[in-house]
Amino acid sequence: MNNNVAVVGSFGQFYKFLLQELKPRGPWLTPFNIISIPVILTGLVILYFRFVYGLGSVTNLSQETAWGLWLGFDVITGVALAGGAYVITFVVYVMKVEKYQSIVRITVLNGFLAYAFYGGALLLDVGRPWNGLNPYIGNSFGFSSVLFLICWHFLLYMFAQFLEFSPVIAEWLHWEKAQRILKKLTLGTVILGITLSILHQSGLGALFLMAKPKIHPLWWSEFMPILFFVSSIYAGLAMIIFEGTISHRVFKALINPKSHHSFDDMVFGLAKGAAITMFVYYFFKALLFIHDKQWDMINDGWGYWYLVEVIGFVLIPALMFAFGFRNRSLKIIKVASVMALFGVILNRLNVSVITFNWFADVHYYPSWQEIVVTLMVIFAEVWVFRWVVTRMPVFSSNH
Amino acid sequence: MDSFTYVNIFETKGLEYLLLLSFWVLFAYLIRYLSPSVEKRKDSHK
Repeated sequence: MNNNVAVVGSFGQFYKFLLQELKPRGPWLTPFNIISIPVILTGLVILYFRFVYGLGSVTNLSQETAWGLWLGFDVITGVALAGGAYVITFVVYVMKVEKYQSIVRITVLNGFLAYAFYGGALLLDVGRPWNGLNPYIGNSFGFSSVLFLICWHFLLYMFAQFLEFSPVIAEWLHWEKAQRILKKLTLGTVILGITLSILHQSGLGALFLMAKPKIHPLWWSEFMPILFFVSSIYAGLAMIIFEGTISHRVFKALINPKSHHSFDDMVFGLAKGAAITMFVYYFFKALLFIHDKQWDMINDGWGYWYLVEVIGFVLIPALMFAFGFRNRSLKIIKVASVMALFGVILNRLNVSVITFNWFADVHYYPSWQEIVVTLMVIFAEVWVFRWVVTRMPVFSSNH
Repeated sequence: MDSFTYVNIFETKGLEYLLLLSFWVLFAYLIRYLSPSVEKRKDSHK
């Protein structure tokens, strides 16, 4: 954060300030830089081939398997993991639980960047990315398509999150009047954001309703929209715990000791919320399993895989969250958050990639180029996140 | 004399009702488990 500049009023001052802020800070030879720079550069080269020679040149996608890792992980999973923003803004601004106020900025930033990068990664995966504008400009509107809803919601929610975060940008630029005005917009924006989030988190589940013949019956259900929505709540809570733990270590110098202590207290509250939500989600799954009479399907490889997901990465972390909360064990809670995140990733990949066309003779597996580009997107997001956090007042407010 | 009729718990959705009942019982237990005890609350107010 730069406090040297008094007021960034004129364009000249603003330009100078921005140039100064864009300059790299801190040591270059860090483990993260050493790993991420080659991956990002390789990813850019792969993307060059993808856009010049088409999807087939770098991916294992085919006419039978049109959706692969880029959609399954970046879009379907990434959006679920970004659920923390709508959950925490609901808790702070609507429920008025002030205790979590100090993590709102960082969570909203995370959510915004996740949508910008993971939603943006959608353009890598569609054959004709320039047609991505169609739902917005009115060309061939697909009103009855779930994707139409998702496209609009992604865009509107990104605007909403940007507005929610904009007081931080105004504070960084020392635009006090703008900050006052933007702060007044927060509650309305938050309510709009929560509404959009609930709808498109469940909308992503609804996207797979029409793929009934292609998805394994243990994963397909007419209640997928509800399952996607409920799991996005605990995915968001687990992500806040996971990301907050890392941020409080890496950006220790930017956070005052009081916030360190209060974060531990917040983790317990988040763990309690996660335990309850995961418990509800687990019973949803159990009820659907019995309602759809799926006993016969449990005795093969897919059945065991289903049990690994539902018991290993839903029920067990749920119990760990509850146990960790009750016994005030941060360690257990942090392990549980990693397990819960892995469970959500597994669930989304099971639905969109792994069990998709489960009966086919030839199964899809991602090419190394797809994996590198996915890592590139994650690393690029972390780079931007780091840049914002080290310059803007994300962890603390001057006002 | 009426003959005995076997009622299939799967066909009658009996199992679903049992699961729902067990959910509410366990849910109440979970909320109690996650709520700080009266003594702890008193301690924290002191």
